[in-house]
Amino acid sequence: MNYFGLILGLAALLIIGLGFIWVMRCEYYLGYLWWPYITGAGVLMVIGSLFIPSVWGSALMGIFGASIVWGATELKDQAVRAEIGWYPFNPSKKPKPPFFEAIRKWSGLN
Amino acid sequence: MELNGIGLITAAATFSGIWIGHIAVRKIEYLSPTVWIPSSVAILIGVLLEVGAVLSGSLYASAALGIFGITVLWDGMEFWRQEKRVRKGHAPANPRNARHAGILKNHPSSTTINWLDQKPAGRRLSAEEIQEIKEGRR
Repeated sequence: MNYFGLILGLAALLIIGLGFIWVMRCEYYLGYLWWPYITGAGVLMVIGSLFIPSVWGSALMGIFGASIVWGATELKDQAVRAEIGWYPFNPSKKPKPPFFEAIRKWSGLN
Repeated sequence: MELNGIGLITAAATFSGIWIGHIAVRKIEYLSPTVWIPSSVAILIGVLLEVGAVLSGSLYASAALGIFGITVLWDGMEFWRQEKRVRKGHAPANPRNARHAGILKNHPSSTTINWLDQKPAGRRLSAEEIQEIKEGRR
């Protein structure tokens, strides 16, 4: 019997669950236009997992990285949900990410 | 230095599990005449994948099956949550699906509009704008 995958699966469940929380917070305070940076952070974590010698460490880092990349794609939908009133909308001005205009164009706006 | 590939495997299993589940649950719930059948099938597949993960002699296969299997088990529950979203109007109902037609009739909040189709405006939408979306004028 090998419980490695089952335990990792349960860990993935928790890590993905965390995603629900940080996606909401991240959209609320930063705004969805930060998505390329969040994606980049997730990709770096997945690449970083290659250099972790521990099997558990590398495996968990991979799960974390992938869930961050997924969460980054959710930010846009979360922004719409907040704008139409399903979630609290942050009335204060959101910080502009570096290359704000380029990201707006990239995101298909304008 | 030797590279450790296990993180790549777990990342691929996590991302593909969420991605496939995200799309499959929405599509299947939209089309299926029942919720319990796709939900039961997902739970069965998820359990089989977990059995495979426990029986596997390879760390890589065990990790991939274990993670993907849990996301499929989760999908088994998401089918029910998706139906709730349809009732609430947070996900679009399919008028050609008899189950959804019933929801459209009995739940005033339900709609055929996919609210998430639009791009963010960057501000809170006004009541009039929300009404325009509801009436398909926007």
